[in-house]
Formats: sequence, C-alpha cells, structure tokens
Amino acid sequence: MANNYNNANKPPLNIAAIILGWILPGLGHISLGQKRRGFLIMGGVLFLVVCGVLIGGIDAVDHKNDGLWFIPQVWGGLIVVGIDVLNQALIAPLPVVEKVTRVGLSHANEIGTLFIAMAGLMNFVVLLDLIGAVKSEDLERRRTTQDRRAS
Amino acid sequence: MLGWTPFLEPMNAMQSWWYLLLIPLVFGISVIYRALRVEDYAIYWQSVIIMTVQIVLGIGGIAIALGMFVQWVIPLLNQP
Repeated sequence: MANNYNNANKPPLNIAAIILGWILPGLGHISLGQKRRGFLIMGGVLFLVVCGVLIGGIDAVDHKNDGLWFIPQVWGGLIVVGIDVLNQALIAPLPVVEKVTRVGLSHANEIGTLFIAMAGLMNFVVLLDLIGAVKSEDLERRRTTQDRRAS
Repeated sequence: MLGWTPFLEPMNAMQSWWYLLLIPLVFGISVIYRALRVEDYAIYWQSVIIMTVQIVLGIGGIAIALGMFVQWVIPLLNQP
C-alpha cells in the first residue's frame, strides 16, 4: 500500500520533453504547456549563444581543438552542433594565412567560448528541471496552485 | 572594425574591454535561472535585474579584493 502511494506521487519522467529541450532550448517546457517559461528560457539560451558567436566567431565552438569546452557547450542543443559543423566546414579547412583572421585569439576566443559553455550548462539545469516538471504548470498557474495550498 | 564580418570573424575590438562582457553573460544566466525559479511572473524582470546586479557586484568585489591583495599585500609580505 505504501509503495502504491509513493508511485502515485512520483513525478513523471518527461523523456520526450527532455529531448525536445535539448533540440531547441525551452521547447521542452513549451511542450508541457509552460509557454512563457519556455520562451524565456529559449530567449536566454539563444541570447548567450548569439553573443558567444558574435564575440568569438563560429570558431568559439570547436570539438576538435576545444574538446573539453565542447562538453558543456553541446548541452546548448542542435544550434551549437550546427555552429560546430559550420566551423569544421568553413574555418578548419582554410590555409593558416586565411585562418588567422577567422580564428578568435586571446579574450575574443575565451569569452566567446565561455558564453556558449554557460548557455549549455544553463540548458543542462533546464533539462534537469524538466525531469520533475508537471504538465501545464506555467508561472501564473504555479502561483495559483501555491495560493490554493496556502488557503 | 569596418572590415569585420559579424559571426564569421571574432570581435577583436573587444580585447581592451573584455571584462565588461561579464554584464551580458550574467544577464543571460539570470534570464534562464529566474525563468525556472520565479513564482510570480509580474516580478520576473525585476528579479532578473536584481540577480544580475548582485552577481556583477559580487564578482566586482572579489576582483577588487584580489587586486588589492596582489598590488598591496603581497609586496608588503616581500619586504624584509
């Protein structure tokens, strides 16, 4: 009986939402009905990724030369994988003379890489939040639920 | 700067003011984190700004403390 009670209260494992949340940050929450939260997350992650690429160029994501940085970055979703593919296709094959102007050096590379790594790590936190997220529980609705509990 | 191709080439003009990029970095992190944690949407942007200011001031304070330690305290320790 106690096991049945625990299973009934166990939060659902939203595998589909987690996969969607990786494909496009925020999409997991949107798929659960939490549209405002999802769009805010999407805006935040995309803001960091766009800023990172603007500062460091597309060379800011490079799984071959910056493999350790790519581990946090890849949690930012398909857009980060796409940037890496572009980097490998457009920048990596260039001769050294042409590559010099396209590859970020010093702070430009460091900060650009850091921005995208932080976007990936924050999206990882978002994906963790999706594990126990309840369907159709948006920001205002969450407050209403708490108000009900309090009253 | 005029020959710069955004997104394809790095923004090398920021080499001298790179530390100011802490502000957009922290702002982006705050937008995501507060979206997960805030319970009342009406105070969302307010809480984002508060979190941004708190982190920037915290990191700025640590930077000043470390700078003072390196510039003043360590030279004092080296004196005979």
